[in-house]
Parts: sequence; C-alpha cells; structure tokens
Amino acid sequence: MKPFFVSSDLRAGYGAGDILKGISFEIEQGKVMTVIGPNGSGKSTLIKTLAGLLKPSGGEIFINEEPISSYTAPQRIKLGMSYVPQEYNVFRNMTVKENLQLANEFMGRSKKKKTKIIDDDLLELFPEIPAKFDTLAGNLSGGQRQMVAFACALAYKPEILLLDEPSAGLSPKYMGDIFEAVKKVNKLGVTIFMVEQNAIEALQISDNCIVMANGKIKFVSDAKTLSESSDLHSLYLGDS
Amino acid sequence: MIQIIFNGFVTGIVITLPALAITLLFGVLKFPNFAVGAMLTLAAYIVFTLNVLFELNLFISTIIAAIFFGFFLIVIDQITFAKLRVSGSNSITLMVCSLGLGFVLENIARLIYGNNAKSFAIELARPFFFLDIRMNREQMITIIVSTLAMVFMYVLLKHMSIGRAMRAVSDNTSLSLVRGIDSPLIIRWTWFISGVLLTIGGVLIGMDRAIEPPMGSSYLIAIFAAAILGGLGSPLGAFVGSLVIGIVSELSTLVIPPNYRIGIPLAVIALILIFRPQGIFGKPNIKK
Amino acid sequence: MLSFIVLMSLVICFSAILALALNFQWGLGGMINFGLAGLYALGAYACAIFILKLNMGFLSSTLLAMLIVSLVCALISIVTLRVSEEDYFAIVTLGVGEMLRLVVLNEDWLTGGALGLSGIPRPFSSIIPSDIYIYFFLAAYVFVLFFCIFLINILARSAFGRTMRAIREDDVVAATLGKNLLWARARIFAIGGLLIGLAGSMHAFYYQYIDPTQFSNIVVAYAIMAVIAGGKGSNFGVVIGSILIMLLLEGSRFLKEIIPGLGSDQLSAVRIIIIGVGLILVLIYKPNGFMKEYRLSVQ
Repeated sequence: MKPFFVSSDLRAGYGAGDILKGISFEIEQGKVMTVIGPNGSGKSTLIKTLAGLLKPSGGEIFINEEPISSYTAPQRIKLGMSYVPQEYNVFRNMTVKENLQLANEFMGRSKKKKTKIIDDDLLELFPEIPAKFDTLAGNLSGGQRQMVAFACALAYKPEILLLDEPSAGLSPKYMGDIFEAVKKVNKLGVTIFMVEQNAIEALQISDNCIVMANGKIKFVSDAKTLSESSDLHSLYLGDS
Repeated sequence: MIQIIFNGFVTGIVITLPALAITLLFGVLKFPNFAVGAMLTLAAYIVFTLNVLFELNLFISTIIAAIFFGFFLIVIDQITFAKLRVSGSNSITLMVCSLGLGFVLENIARLIYGNNAKSFAIELARPFFFLDIRMNREQMITIIVSTLAMVFMYVLLKHMSIGRAMRAVSDNTSLSLVRGIDSPLIIRWTWFISGVLLTIGGVLIGMDRAIEPPMGSSYLIAIFAAAILGGLGSPLGAFVGSLVIGIVSELSTLVIPPNYRIGIPLAVIALILIFRPQGIFGKPNIKK
Repeated sequence: MLSFIVLMSLVICFSAILALALNFQWGLGGMINFGLAGLYALGAYACAIFILKLNMGFLSSTLLAMLIVSLVCALISIVTLRVSEEDYFAIVTLGVGEMLRLVVLNEDWLTGGALGLSGIPRPFSSIIPSDIYIYFFLAAYVFVLFFCIFLINILARSAFGRTMRAIREDDVVAATLGKNLLWARARIFAIGGLLIGLAGSMHAFYYQYIDPTQFSNIVVAYAIMAVIAGGKGSNFGVVIGSILIMLLLEGSRFLKEIIPGLGSDQLSAVRIIIIGVGLILVLIYKPNGFMKEYRLSVQ
C-alpha cells in the first residue's frame, strides 16, 4: 500500500542556512506519528514547513503522491490537511463562536457548508465549548483555548491533522483530555502528525515515532518499542 | 455652545470614514498608511471630473468613482506594497513607501487639475434651523451618508463572512492562513473597501470646502489622531475617536486661533501616547 | 560651468548634513523622522530671525538655532518615550513638522508668512573681498561637513555608540534595557536635531532668502533617498547619496526643455512625482538586505 503522507529530503530555514537538513519519512493512512527531540532540533520548523507557513528550500512533500510543497496553506487545507499551531492558535479578539464560524466558512473542501456552528461529533469531543460561545477567545484559559483551537481545526474532518506541541503549557487534567481527544480523532480515521515535548504521554497514543536532533532524523521506530526502551531519557536529551 | 458642539460633531463625522479606512488598513497590513490624505484628494478629483466635466449627478458620480477607486487602490497595492510584503519589509519601509506614494498621488492631481480650487456642481441651498441649531443641507447629507456607511461597515465586519475574515487577518495573519483564509484576497478586499470609504469621505470633505491638491493631506493628522484615539485596528474606535476629535477641535477654536486647529489632533496623539498608547478600544499590540 | 559646480557643491554640503541627521536618528536610534522638513525650516527661520531681527552674529545665531531644533527633537522623543513603535513615532514627527510649517506660514510678524525673510547676510561677507568670497564660503561649508562626519564617527565609536549599536543588533537586550534605551534614544534624536538646525542655518546663509515653499515635505524624501542610495548607512555613503540625489534633482530641471508647454506649477508637480516614484523604486529594488542590515556603520 502506497504511503499516504511522505516527506522527501525536506530542507528549510529562515534565511541564513537551513534548519531542516534533509528530512525524509512516510506515514500510512490512519496512523499516528509523533516527532520528539530536544529544543532546537527543528521540530517546530518541520511542522511549519509541512503546514505551508514556511517555504522549503529543497525536497518535497506528498499527500497521496501529489507534491504539495508549492501549495499555500489554504490550498493544503483544501487537500485535507489541518494544522493546530502551538501558540496563538485562536483569534483572541473574536469570540469562540466567531472562531468556529470562521473555520466553518473557510475550511470546507466542497461547496457544502455547515449549518450548525459545532456539530455533534465535535460536541462530543469538546462539550465545554458551547457555554463559552460568547467569550472572547483571548479571555479563555490555556486549556480552553487549546480545545477551541482543536475544534476549529476539526471543523471538517481532515485527512491529516498536524499538531504542534498540543500539550504545551497545559495542566495535567487538560493534557490528559487533549491526548484523549487526539486518540478519539484518530479512531475516526484521521492521520495524525504530532510534534511533542511530553514524549512519554505522546508515545502512549502513537503508532510510530521519529527522533530529531540538529535538523536531522536520528532514527525512526514504532512507538511501543521506543517507550519500552530504557534509553528513552538519554534519547530525549539528544545524546545518541 | 450647542452650535459649536454640532459643528464639531459634523467635523468629526466627516473624518469617520477615512479614519475607518486607516484602521482597517492598519489592521490587515500592519502599518499606518501616509498616502491616505492624497488618496482622499485624488478620489475627490475623480468625482469632480465625473460631476463637473461629464455633468453627471453627484450621487451617481460618487458611486462610479468609488468602484473605480476601489479597483485603482488594488492595482496600486499590487505595484507597491505587495512587492514589499513579498520581500519581507518592516513597517518603516512600508511607511516610507506610503509617504512617497502620497507625494505621487497628490502631485498627479496637481498636474492634471492645477492648483486652483474647484468645487462640485451642486445646487446652493439655504441653511435652515432645527432646534435653534443652524445647519445646512451639506451637513445633513454628511451626517446621513456617514452614519449609513458606518452602519453598513458594522454589519459587514460583525455579521458577514468577509468581515470576519478581515478581522481574522488583522488578529493573526499566519493563523488565518491555516484556517483556510486566502490572505491576499482579503487584503485586496480591504483595499477595495477602503477605496470606497475614501471616495465617499473625499466627496464629503469636498462638499464642505474647496477641492485643491493639499486638501486631503491637511486632514491626515486629524484622521490619524481619530484612529489612534479610538485604538488603531478598532472600527468602533475610529467612529468614536473621530467624533471626539471633531468636537474637541471645534471647542478649541474658542481659545486657539483657527489656523492652529491641527494642534489639537497632535496634542491628542501626544496625550494618548503618554497615558494610554492603545487608545480607547485598542488592545496592547503584540507584534510578531 | 565652474560656478555651477561651486554652487552645486554648496547645496550638497548642507543637504548632506541634513541626510546625515536623518541617518543618525534612523540608523543609530531607529527613529524615522517624518517631520524633517518642518524641523529644517525651524532651523533656517530661527537662524534668520536671530540675525535679521535680533542683530546677532552669525555664529551665535547658528548655534542658537541648532539648540532650538535640538530641544524640539528632545521634546518629541520624550512624548513618545512610552511607545517604542516606529509607527506612532513617524506620525508624531509628521504632525510636529506640519505644526512648525503652519507657524511659519501664519506668524507673519515673525516669519514674514508666505513672503518669507530676505536679505540674510552671509558670514564674513563684509570682511572678505567679494571676488574670492565664494571660494571661502565653499571651503567653510566643506570643512563643516567633514567636521560633522568626524564628530558623528567619534560619537558612534564611543561607549555610547557601541551600546546603541549592540542594542540595534539584539532586540532582547533592547527590551530588557527598557527605560535606559528610551533615554538614550532621546539623546540621539536631540543630537540629530543639532545637525538639522545646522543644515537649516547653512540653507539660510546660502540662499539668503527663505520662504515656506523651500521646506515642503518632499525634503524628507530626498534625505531618505540619499541615505538609501548611499547604501548601508555609512556616513560617506550618505554624502555620495546626497550627490546622486542632487544630480537627479538638477537633471529634472531640464524637463522644461524636454516637455514644452508645462506651466511652472505643473513642472514642480512632475519633479515631485519623479522623486516620489524614485523613492518607491529605491525601496522595492534597494541594495539587497539594506533595510535588514541598516545600521549606522562606522568607518
């Protein structure tokens, strides 16, 4: 079976020199891939390049064998990609309702637009949201903002969901909720690509894992093997 | 006294639409546009051409000119600011560019129409009194048109999809991209809407006084003051700020010689910057 | 021909000092001064008024004019102390420039209003024989220009200058230094003001007659172009840039020959359009990385 999402020798940077020095990996449809690595390893740069916020200087990205690195971010959304940035992932000066309305209005892939502001599947995942409809997104707590950001990204069931450190800065309760939500979303058939600092928790819900350091992939493994390995901590600190 | 406040109200409402244009452009493009004064002038001259030289009715002239000017500004943006956005310019570069653009637009008007004052072809009407306040027909038109435009803009921004998209791009441009909003398209819409607002604003100003090349630029500081007072990026702020600037300016003529009225907007800017830089309705700016 | 070169050189001298002032305030302090024209006028008028109405000597008039412009610049800087955004600063300076020009236009009793002030004597013109005076004048102006460059370089190389340049390199440092940074910028802006006042005085002595039309806002476009054309913000670069811009300006005077039938109003409109377009083009096609690397650089 041909892999669904492929990165091929991807290179990117912000000007003087590349941060990503040739990243290649494949993800099968419906799987959860997590990227871990120390700060400065290029994880954030990688996900921004995949999302379309940073133009690669070399290499290619494929969705179902279609090369997408020349596509803008809105164009990638039309192909079924969705991205939740790490911070500033909601429109702070707009209400929760307006944030969701925007997602409904602009993230659709067909002519059909949603009628309800938040439909039932999402409501099940994020039941606390309707109560906050008229609150400005900037006035929510970190965990609540994350929920809203998620819900917006899932307005139309994406083919692949990119998550940049979804648990960053969250209290343990919200962290658990977020990973729960990720798991449930994956069960619906959404492929997940996740960058994470909280390696242990992330690996619990992942199928595969990439370890990055210095802009390169150190190695790839399936998540189970990695989480059982006692070397996880030294790996995490980038020693190997 | 009431008369002065009324006059100030009208003065303020005249600059409401340009102030709104500045605040919309600032929200979406992230820099104050110094060419807005010259744009007001040029738009007024275009209406003048249709109204006086082609003898079209002022209302029709304004509509035609507004649509034309909206597209005109999109083109201008494509050949100037868009190029700078692509190469990643900072806000000083964009400001300097807008300053240069202002010189060009104002002097194109001067080149074509000369320095002599012009005015629109409208019938003279006698002033009338309403509740002891002296008003004239132009002032009534100004109040009605500006209010209608503001109401329409409110509906656009709050309840229409395009308005939400504009607010989103102002709030967080890169997030709007990953939420499927075609940022360049929104920018073009913002320019078009600004063009319409500036045309209407230019006509309202031109009804109030003579049309001449430095016309719009002489309002620039007042327009900036209104937008800054209300909070750059806040449409409601543009409205409130304009009225305050208008009324305070008129009241100031009681103590200051009329020629120095520009000092009031400047003083307002200074006070705001010292005490509350984000203006009445603005949010403290997080520049990313 | 020789006298043409001499006259051009004189104009280049004080125009370059004006551009140097902009370069100093912008390159070292990061503050773009859109009120340059008004402050320039302030310097010229102050100097002229001291000489003509208060019968002061040319040196004291010049120095006092420099001080006045410097004070106004310091005031502007203090008002915007709380706001480190360039946007607001540009708006305030534009406003101040406009106010100053309004004062010049309206206070006829002091400034002669639209008619301006005439009969400004040149320094030592009564002492030095008139046939060689112009060469003395040129030598003096060139000397003053180089002296300014010399002083600016010393300042930029000093501890103060090093701190400011280090701050320009690193925004985080700048943020943590907070208030000190803002006071330092006020000083830079005030020093720039001294140069603007000097340029204004030299303008007054050269033309011997000043009126509001000489100080229209386009002046700031010239100065910015001179700084950018010279490249990289070096002081000598600014002088080269000034020469280039002056040549462009003088060249555009010949438009009258090329395009017949243009009234003088329209001619000046065309010249300003050329400058405006030139400014925009220079910004779009500028030397690579100019804006990102733009700092006051030291030879």
